[in-house]
Amino acid sequence: MSVGAPRRARSIRAVLLAGTIATLLAVLGVAAWMSFEGSAEEAQELFDARLATSARVLEAFLARQVEHATVAAPIVIQLPGPIEAAEHDAPRTEGHYYETKIAFQVWNADRHLLVRSASAPGTPFAPLVAGYSDQDFENVEWRVFTLPSGSLWIQVAERSDIRTELSGKLAYAAAEPLVIGIPVLLVLLGLLIGYGLAPLGKLAQQIETRQADALTPVSLPRVPAEIAPVLDALNGLLGRLTSALERERRFTADAAHELRTPLAGLKVHAQNAARAGSPAERQASLDRMLVALDRTIHLAEQMLAYNRASASAAPEHEPVSLRQLAGEAFEALQPRIGARGLKVTVMCAPANGTAEVQGDRQKLASLVGNLLDNAARYAPAGSAIDVVLREDRGAVTLEVVDEGPGIAEELRARVFESYYRIPGANDAGSGLGLAIVREVARAHGARVEIRGGRGGKGTAVVVTFPGQ
Amino acid sequence: MRILLVEDDDLLAAGIRDTLERALYAVEWVPDGAQALAALKSNTFDLVVLDLGLPKVDGVEVLRKVRGEGGAVPVIVLSARDTASDRVLGLDAGADDYLIKPFDVDELLARVRAQLRRQRGAAVNVIEHGPLRLDPAALTVTFEGQPVALQRREFMLLQKLLQSAGQVLSRAQLEDALYGWDSGVESNSVDVHIHKLRRKLYPEVIRTVRGVGYVADPPPPGAQA
Repeated sequence: MSVGAPRRARSIRAVLLAGTIATLLAVLGVAAWMSFEGSAEEAQELFDARLATSARVLEAFLARQVEHATVAAPIVIQLPGPIEAAEHDAPRTEGHYYETKIAFQVWNADRHLLVRSASAPGTPFAPLVAGYSDQDFENVEWRVFTLPSGSLWIQVAERSDIRTELSGKLAYAAAEPLVIGIPVLLVLLGLLIGYGLAPLGKLAQQIETRQADALTPVSLPRVPAEIAPVLDALNGLLGRLTSALERERRFTADAAHELRTPLAGLKVHAQNAARAGSPAERQASLDRMLVALDRTIHLAEQMLAYNRASASAAPEHEPVSLRQLAGEAFEALQPRIGARGLKVTVMCAPANGTAEVQGDRQKLASLVGNLLDNAARYAPAGSAIDVVLREDRGAVTLEVVDEGPGIAEELRARVFESYYRIPGANDAGSGLGLAIVREVARAHGARVEIRGGRGGKGTAVVVTFPGQ
Repeated sequence: MRILLVEDDDLLAAGIRDTLERALYAVEWVPDGAQALAALKSNTFDLVVLDLGLPKVDGVEVLRKVRGEGGAVPVIVLSARDTASDRVLGLDAGADDYLIKPFDVDELLARVRAQLRRQRGAAVNVIEHGPLRLDPAALTVTFEGQPVALQRREFMLLQKLLQSAGQVLSRAQLEDALYGWDSGVESNSVDVHIHKLRRKLYPEVIRTVRGVGYVADPPPPGAQA
């Protein structure tokens, strides 16, 4: 199965902008509409109230005078028309443009028209029922208020179209800021989102323009809280890459250096064998070559084991019995142990304990194997090697004690260095055994310590795994 | 010819030792710098093959000490370090030649011969001495153009005497030239080998200096065969 390039998700900027625009348009649109509707309604209420006020004024000043008059023809009162001015809105000395065209009628109880304005008809605007109503008269919509006053009926009417126009203007004035505000808001939002997302662009640019081997941390002039975790994670990864790369580089350099001497030996023996003057000489060179070959193979294996052990990858975690590993290591070393007459004893306290620790089986096997290999390599023939395992309140201790030449106090730290060999040691090891032990112990949170063996003679290597 | 081999890897040392001894050089091997300095103080060597990466006293340090005390012995350095700066470091410290591990055995031998030839002030490996002709590469000796069959020790002694023609060598110095060949059926007595050489070649080839030792007198001009 092949993994293609991930589908490009829509840009954050586009999503934010589109989302904000849609939300703003919806919310502000509704707000503007509600504001418009509300203002229009309030204006109608105001006009209705004014209509009522006009009726009351008429009632107070006029209707009482004519209440008992009997008139053949109604009195017609001329009212000034509305101001038709070019300049709207502004109050003027003669009045206001918003003055509406009012018409009125005063009827007596017998439904006789007593007084009317010139603009009002001779017939009732509306049925004589108290309250507001809308009436059609001469193809014009009127708003009518009918006020019963004693035996009289006062009707005041106003042209609806003018009212509607005015209330429309009012409502528009209320909604206007919102409508104008929307595009301004959108432009500002666009700029703000752009500014907010700029560090992302900078980050991308920094990463893009980087050389493959430049693993220094990425830094930004401005690190917003949202990008900080990304930047931290990225720099963390770069840090781990740097150390992994450095380790590989060192491994390669060390390998190139450390393999030169054994390879030189192999080549010299091979050429000596090829140029030998006698079968005996040839055989001697071939024998040496085989020993050198075994040692080179051992070195190569130890190098790989060391590289694996010092890799930063988290070790596999499974329950591993150190007792079993000690048994396996003993089996693997049996030829040398047998040939050198070594007496190896594996002890466990408690006696039926398995000395179980959590960790990586392969790496732990390498730790135990290297400790036993060292002991079997440097202990004098016929001497005793003790492998002591102790379980104590969850902690497990592995101790390998030999009766070998021991390791001088001042060298006990150095022997853990990679490729360090004790000068004058009788068997040339890889110089990596204890380095591998140290790396495996470190990966498992264990402590390694070198002490003197029994009675200060020989070596005791103690590995302590803390309780989990 | 006596060579000091300073190499900490016992297997490589054994191989180089085989190579040099089979080319009829006497080899003394020490595994570290401190022993190298001790050996150079108490013995004379015709050449030193020195590994640079040594325990106790580093190879470069050994070189500096030897040169600092006026030691002029030719030194061929072996090194696992292959950068130009390492080579410069070795040569500046007083190395006469530099070989990088792993190296070719034939090349090592050629460089050993080159150093010994230079020590003699000669331009060719073959030593011409009157009617004698000794080829250190082919390990052959001819007298008046005729091949002479020599025992190993006889060849080693003759090479040592001809290398230092005109110089009186003590019996101890000559015994050193046979170092490492002191076991086996052949007699180790220098006097016995000198006697055999005189018989196989011609009596005047080696002159006895009473109470001091032996010398191969430089042949009179025009005495070449």
